[in-house]
Amino acid sequence: MFLSRALPLATAVVVIVIVWQLVIAIFRPHISLLPPPVIAAQEFWTLLASGELFLHTGTSLARVFSAWTITGAIAIPLGLAMGWSRRVERIVDPFVEIFRPISPLAWIPLAILWFGIGEAGKVFVVCVATLFPTLLSTIAGVKRIDPVLVHAGQVLGCTDQASLFCKVIFPAALPSIVVGLRISFGTGWAAIIAAELVAARSGLGYLIANGMEILRADKVLVGMAMIGILGVFFDAVFRFLHRRFSWGEE
Amino acid sequence: MIGTAKPLSLRGIAKTYQSKTGTPVEALAPIDLEIAAGEFVVIVGPSGCGKSTLLNMLAGFGEPTSGEARVGGEKIQGPDIDRGMVFQSYALFPWLSVLGNVEFGLERKGLAKRERRQIAMESLRMVGLEDFAGRAINELSGGMKQRVAIARAFAPQPSIILMDEPFGALDALTRRFLQRELLRIWQQHKKTAVFVTHSVPEAIMLADRIVVMTARPGRIRKITALDLPHPRESTSERFRDCEQELYAVLDEELAKSFALG
Ligand SMILES: Nc1ncnc2c1ncn2[C@@H]1O[C@H](COP(=O)(O)OP(=O)(O)OP(=O)(O)O)[C@@H](O)[C@H]1O
Ligand SMILES: [Mg+2]
Repeated sequence: MFLSRALPLATAVVVIVIVWQLVIAIFRPHISLLPPPVIAAQEFWTLLASGELFLHTGTSLARVFSAWTITGAIAIPLGLAMGWSRRVERIVDPFVEIFRPISPLAWIPLAILWFGIGEAGKVFVVCVATLFPTLLSTIAGVKRIDPVLVHAGQVLGCTDQASLFCKVIFPAALPSIVVGLRISFGTGWAAIIAAELVAARSGLGYLIANGMEILRADKVLVGMAMIGILGVFFDAVFRFLHRRFSWGEE
Repeated sequence: MIGTAKPLSLRGIAKTYQSKTGTPVEALAPIDLEIAAGEFVVIVGPSGCGKSTLLNMLAGFGEPTSGEARVGGEKIQGPDIDRGMVFQSYALFPWLSVLGNVEFGLERKGLAKRERRQIAMESLRMVGLEDFAGRAINELSGGMKQRVAIARAFAPQPSIILMDEPFGALDALTRRFLQRELLRIWQQHKKTAVFVTHSVPEAIMLADRIVVMTARPGRIRKITALDLPHPRESTSERFRDCEQELYAVLDEELAKSFALG
């Protein structure tokens, strides 16, 4: 199981390194534009040992986690209500329709104007990025519930809305909610890097932007590699959660 | 705590749906029917004649357009744990184990954990699945799922059991087996049972009385009382006669429903 995932990944890494080395051998770019893999690996090690890499990674992750948690706390109850009640959906849906097509990145300028380059602005941008995937998946999760499950809950004593929600609607929608949380973590992770590229003094996005400014492509590459590594890691975590909460279906 | 069987009384109960295009669809014409406490009534009729509509109203899902149904004198106004239901598609909760499903209604009734466990295990033993208590729902075969659903419906001791083609999705052998299981359980618990089916032999195998419905809008075409003792043999002459008679009536109604389109 682990090996069947790890092996293709390791192969892909080897292929990337080979291609990278080939590009360098053929085009001979200046080291400040594209350093060879060894140099990048050395820089990775240096940043890791100095703790700098941990600091930037931790900062970015903290921003994503806080925003993702905040929007989860809003989007899950709201999505349950929208999926369940036609009336709530009719009221809220127009707002979703208007705001959803606006890329979270388009909010970065406003976030800077409103919040400066402090934490709040970044968290705000990630909130925009994580809200809709969680919300839409939750709504879909409720709407897809087999009505017969609701009926079963009712004849087994969930005769009020509250118990029906806790005992049937929520668990039945949970697999879909987990999918939404997984997608929104991905969009949030992409958005934070973008926000940090533009306006930050810390975080992986800042590490990359700063590397560019001081013509240190190795630093840029280290930041990018770290994003990739964490992406793979979190995908595995969410895949596990998804399996755990899909009740053996699909 | 134990719900004794209660009589069911349908008085002019009817349902007209509002279709999406706005035209009303009369699914069920006014029905009058008295079902005695502990009686096993089977409803048969052509597809679309309103059997599920009727059963759903008895469960409390959806209001009748006119008329009413009473359980032991009390008007049905919504779903209640006192009226259990077994669904064709099992409707088990996949996020709970087999035991969790059977305990569900007991928990809603406010039973303490120990008592809950004990009654649920008893119910599982009743359907021969006590060894599967810890299993996940998705690991079970269709026949096992329906046995869990039966255990789940009987566990909270409702006074009425409603079943809408509960064996419709099962193979013939499993079906035959579960019919006998159901009869045995029903005889033990003496619930009032209303059972919808498409299968004439199934109806004759189970029923105290068979209610034959007409094509849509469904009304009662004929009521056949069966005083054959259990277990009934599908090869016996009286069984055969009964079958002949029911098929004749149903064929007529089916022809009408095709003519209706
Ligand atoms: N929610 C609804 N809205 C509109 N029409 C409906 C609705 N539910 C059922 N009907 C119609 O009412 C009629 C009776 O449906 P019902 O499901 O009660 O039939 P049935 O006897 O259970 O059929 P079957 O044997 O195929 O299960 C059908 O013509 C059906 O199309
Ligand atoms: Mg039906």
